[in-house]
Amino acid sequence: MGRRRSRTVRTASEKREGETDALGRRAVELSAFYQGKIETVPKVPVRSLADFALWYTPGVAEVSRAIQANPERSFDLTGRWNTVAIVTDGSRVLGLGDIGPRAALPVMEGKALLFKYLGGVDALPIPIQVSSPDQFISTVEAMAPAFGGINLEDIASPKCFGILEELQKRLSIPVWHDDQLGTAAATVAGLINALELTGRSVTAVRTVLLGAGAANLVTARLLLALGHDPHRLTLVDQRGILHAERDDVDELMLRNPWKYRIALKTNGGGRVGDLAAAVAGADVLLAASTPNPDTVRPEHVRSMAPQPIVFALANPMPEIWPDVARSAGAAVVATGRSDFPNQVNNSLVFPAVFRGILDARARAIPDEVVLVAARELARGAARKGLTAQHLLPTMEESEVFPEVAAAVGDASVRLGIARQRLTHDEFLERARTLMQRPARLVRALERAHLTPAMPRKGARNRRNPR
Amino acid sequence: MTASNEPNPHAATSPASEGPNVPIHLRPARERDLPALVPLLLRLKRLNEEFDPLLKVRDDAEEQARVVLRANLADPKSVVLAAEGVGADKDKVVGFVRAVVRERPFYAPEFEGVILDIYLLPLYRRRAVGEFLLREVSAALKAKGAGVVTAEFPAQNEIAVRFYAKKGFRPITAIHARSL
Repeated sequence: MGRRRSRTVRTASEKREGETDALGRRAVELSAFYQGKIETVPKVPVRSLADFALWYTPGVAEVSRAIQANPERSFDLTGRWNTVAIVTDGSRVLGLGDIGPRAALPVMEGKALLFKYLGGVDALPIPIQVSSPDQFISTVEAMAPAFGGINLEDIASPKCFGILEELQKRLSIPVWHDDQLGTAAATVAGLINALELTGRSVTAVRTVLLGAGAANLVTARLLLALGHDPHRLTLVDQRGILHAERDDVDELMLRNPWKYRIALKTNGGGRVGDLAAAVAGADVLLAASTPNPDTVRPEHVRSMAPQPIVFALANPMPEIWPDVARSAGAAVVATGRSDFPNQVNNSLVFPAVFRGILDARARAIPDEVVLVAARELARGAARKGLTAQHLLPTMEESEVFPEVAAAVGDASVRLGIARQRLTHDEFLERARTLMQRPARLVRALERAHLTPAMPRKGARNRRNPR
Repeated sequence: MTASNEPNPHAATSPASEGPNVPIHLRPARERDLPALVPLLLRLKRLNEEFDPLLKVRDDAEEQARVVLRANLADPKSVVLAAEGVGADKDKVVGFVRAVVRERPFYAPEFEGVILDIYLLPLYRRRAVGEFLLREVSAALKAKGAGVVTAEFPAQNEIAVRFYAKKGFRPITAIHARSL
C-alpha cells in the first residue's frame, strides 16, 4: 500500500516536472519573440504633432506649476494615482533563490502584466542593484514621487520585514510586500471559509503553522488580529516548534526580531518538540514551507482533531498531496496550485487590493485593510456556495474582485487614510470599469494585429516584426 | 506599595514600588542552582558569539561554566543572584546575574564591582526586570566594598549599550582585539 502510493506520488511529480519543463521552453521561446511583456502606450489623443504643445511643453509647464503649488494634485493631474512600482533586489525570486535583479526582470514584467490585466493598474518592473536593506529603502523612498503605491516583490526573509516596515513608516503611499501580505491574505480568506464550513470559530481553534517565513509570520499576525488565541497557535520550522526558550531564540532576537516576537507571543502554543508534537489534536494546519510532498505525513493529519483543515501551500509541490491528506481524514484541503481545488493564490488578492487602495488614493495599507480584503474574498466565494472544493473564488469568478476592491476602498475611507473619499457604489463601479478595460485593450490590440499572434511551438529565431 | 510579599534579600535597597511589578524573585544563588544556571550562562555566551567571531564559544564551555560558577559561589568577592519566576514559574530559575569585586591598584575608588553576566529568559525581558536586577546587583557589590560598578559585554551589543547608557553608565575603558 505504502509502496504503491509512493510510486503514484513519484509519477505525479515526474509528470508535473515534465509539464514544467515544456512550459519553461515555450516561455523562453515566446520571450525571445515578444522581447518583453509590457510596453507604454499613450492614453491621450494625438490628433497632430501640434497637440504636443498640450501634452508637453509649453502647455505642460502650467500643470507642473499646479502640482508645485499643491503636491497632492500629482494624483489628479498625472497617472500617479494608478501607477505602482514593482521593486525587487532579486534576492528570493520564486523558488530560484538569490538570482539578482537582472534575472528577476522577467518575473517582475510578468507581475506587471498581471497588475494591468487583472487590476487595471499600471505597474513598472523595477529590479534594483543594491547592497544593503538601507540602500534598498532609500532608493525606493527616492522614487516614491512617481507612484501611487509600491509593491515589493521577491525579497529574502527576514530582511523583507524590515524593508516593508521602514518604507511603510517613511512613505505616504501604500507599500505592500506581496510575499508577505498577498499570500497571508489569501490564506486567511481560505481559512475563514474552511472554519465556516466545519463549524468552527477562529477564536476557539488550535492552529499549527508549518514554516516561519514571510507568508506564515504575517498569517500568524493576521490570525492574532482576528482574535486567535496566541496560546493555541503553534509555529513550526526546520528546528521544530518555535517557542520562547528554544536554543536559537537569542539569535532570532538579533537576526529576525519579527520571528522572535511571534515566538514570545505564541510560546509554541504551550508545546515543544517537532511537527508531530505540534499537530496532535490541532484543528488547522497551514503549511507554507518546503516543496516536498513528504513534509506532512498522513499520520500527522490522522493525529489532528476531527475534521481537520489542511492547507499545503508550497509550490510547485505541496507539503502533502491533497488526495493523501483527504484519505488521512482531512475535511478541507487547499494548495497553492491551480490544478487542484482551493488554490490559495496571491493573484486573488493583490490586483483587487491595489485597485481599491489606488482608487481611494490611500496613504497606507494597514492590516485592517488586509483583513477586510480577506473577508470580502471569503464572502465572494461563499456567495457562490461554500463546499470543501470551493473555499475560495477561482480566477475565473471575476465578479468577486471589484467587490474586494470596493471593500478595500470603503475601509480606507473608514480608517481616514483615503485621499479620495468615494461611496461604496462609486468604488465598485470604478473598479469594475478599470478592471475590465485591460482585457478589452489586449483583445483590441490582437484584433488590430498590433500585438502579433503567438508563433507556433518550436519556431526558431523568429522575432516580433514590430 | 508594600516592599513586596516576596522575601527579598535586598529589599531595603530597592524602591518599594518596583517590587510587585517585577515578575521575578531574586535571591543569592546556591550550589543546587548549578544545573539551572549552567544552561543560562551558555545561552548568554552563545548570544555574545553572535556579535564577534573572537567570542566563539569553546566546545568545553559547558564544563567551564560549571567550574566557573562553582568557584564564584565559593568566593566572597563574587555575587551570583538567581532570578526565579513567580506564579506557575515559581522555583524555576529564569535568569541570573554574575558579578565580582576587583581591586584597582592605581585608581580610586579602590574597589570595582564588575557585572560579568546578566541573562533573563526572553519571556522575562522587560525593562523593569533588567533595571531591578541591575539595582540589586549594584547594592550587593556596594555591600562588598565596591565604590564603582562596571559592566562587561560585547562592544557590538547595542541593546546592552543602550540599556546601560539609560542607567547612567558611560564607557571608561575599551578593550580592542585582533586575532594572532
